[in-house]
Amino acid sequence: MPKLGLKSKIAIAAVAFIAIVLIGAIFFPVAKPEAHLAPNYDSPFAKLGPIYVTNTLITAWIGIVLLIIFFFFATRRMKLVPKGLQNIAEWIIETMLNFAEGVAGKENARRFFPVVATIFLFVLMNAWLGLVPIFGVIGRGSVPTTVSDNLLHTLVPSLFPNYQGFEVTVPLLRPANTDINVPLMLALVSFVCVEYWGITSLGLRIYLSKFLRFGEVLAGLGLLIRGKIKSAIGIILFGAIDVVVGFLELLSEFVRILSFTFRLFGNMTAGEILLVVIASIIPWGLASIFYGLETFLGVIQALIFSVLTLVFATMAITQHSSEKEHE
Amino acid sequence: MDQEAAKMLGAGLAMGFGALGPGIGIGILGAGAMQALGRNPEARGVILTNMMIAIAFAEAIAIYALVIAIILAML
Repeated sequence: MPKLGLKSKIAIAAVAFIAIVLIGAIFFPVAKPEAHLAPNYDSPFAKLGPIYVTNTLITAWIGIVLLIIFFFFATRRMKLVPKGLQNIAEWIIETMLNFAEGVAGKENARRFFPVVATIFLFVLMNAWLGLVPIFGVIGRGSVPTTVSDNLLHTLVPSLFPNYQGFEVTVPLLRPANTDINVPLMLALVSFVCVEYWGITSLGLRIYLSKFLRFGEVLAGLGLLIRGKIKSAIGIILFGAIDVVVGFLELLSEFVRILSFTFRLFGNMTAGEILLVVIASIIPWGLASIFYGLETFLGVIQALIFSVLTLVFATMAITQHSSEKEHE
Repeated sequence: MDQEAAKMLGAGLAMGFGALGPGIGIGILGAGAMQALGRNPEARGVILTNMMIAIAFAEAIAIYALVIAIILAML
């Protein structure tokens, strides 16, 4: 056998890889991708009173239980010098706390940390759970009646029988973030917490004055009554702009819920669809690269959800100062 | 036009035009972050986190378009 250079070795490997991928794509087609927005409420797996136990709920429970087990065993016998699991847990918490302190400052970060870290861990756990291979393949389904488009069967029908496998239509496990209710729940928790922190640290009156800014208009009206018309008109005009700005801020507070929800839901659903689409285009090999991408995206989405909560909370507890700018 | 065809066309248009703006936005953001990185390499961590957050804001708009497109294509 002649000795091959590195370049030709790489070329041979590349050709073999492409050939395998093409053969896989042509002869062993994967089922067509299918996207679901909400879990299958018409066929839940169990019903506890008014609660429908759907596939995403089961996954969310699994995620929570895994987190509880990890942190229970990590903190069971705590030592001053951490070792093993405790070391990992301390590293996770410390990294997150340092990051939060960098964004919100030392005291505020300690206050916001429990909620923000919980959101981070929950989102991350659910995002990564969805990449475990058992997801989406166990569940209810049926053997489809339509003939498969297996090319081997069409070419040599006697050698390769038209095998039709079991097709799962309602999977037992589905990543919780791809159910729009889970991101909505997280967004509502984040919204309520941010408002609570804002009200408790500023007081209800000052906090509301961020949004309902009638102060200048009232002052202008007072001037108008006293007869100083010229200066009153200017103040009223500026006050009107202020009222509109306050209303827009109030609106943006609620739009956040929507944007939180759809950002997480859309990203996670898009990731799921991407994986299925890639698997149906090129069944062999290439899909694993996109699993790496999805692993990264899970961290990014968890980071974004928690950091945005942190940033909004920091914004909510800082006093508004634009009233002083006009003076 | 066929109703199904109109739906698919709408989904494609929604995603295509919806990705246009965020694409430009993310490009500008990336360029700004790279310039900042070149001028001040020590601030790498802060710049990268802030870039990620800003990109997430821009990307969210494309994600809304994607959700609309998925809903259109599935209804």
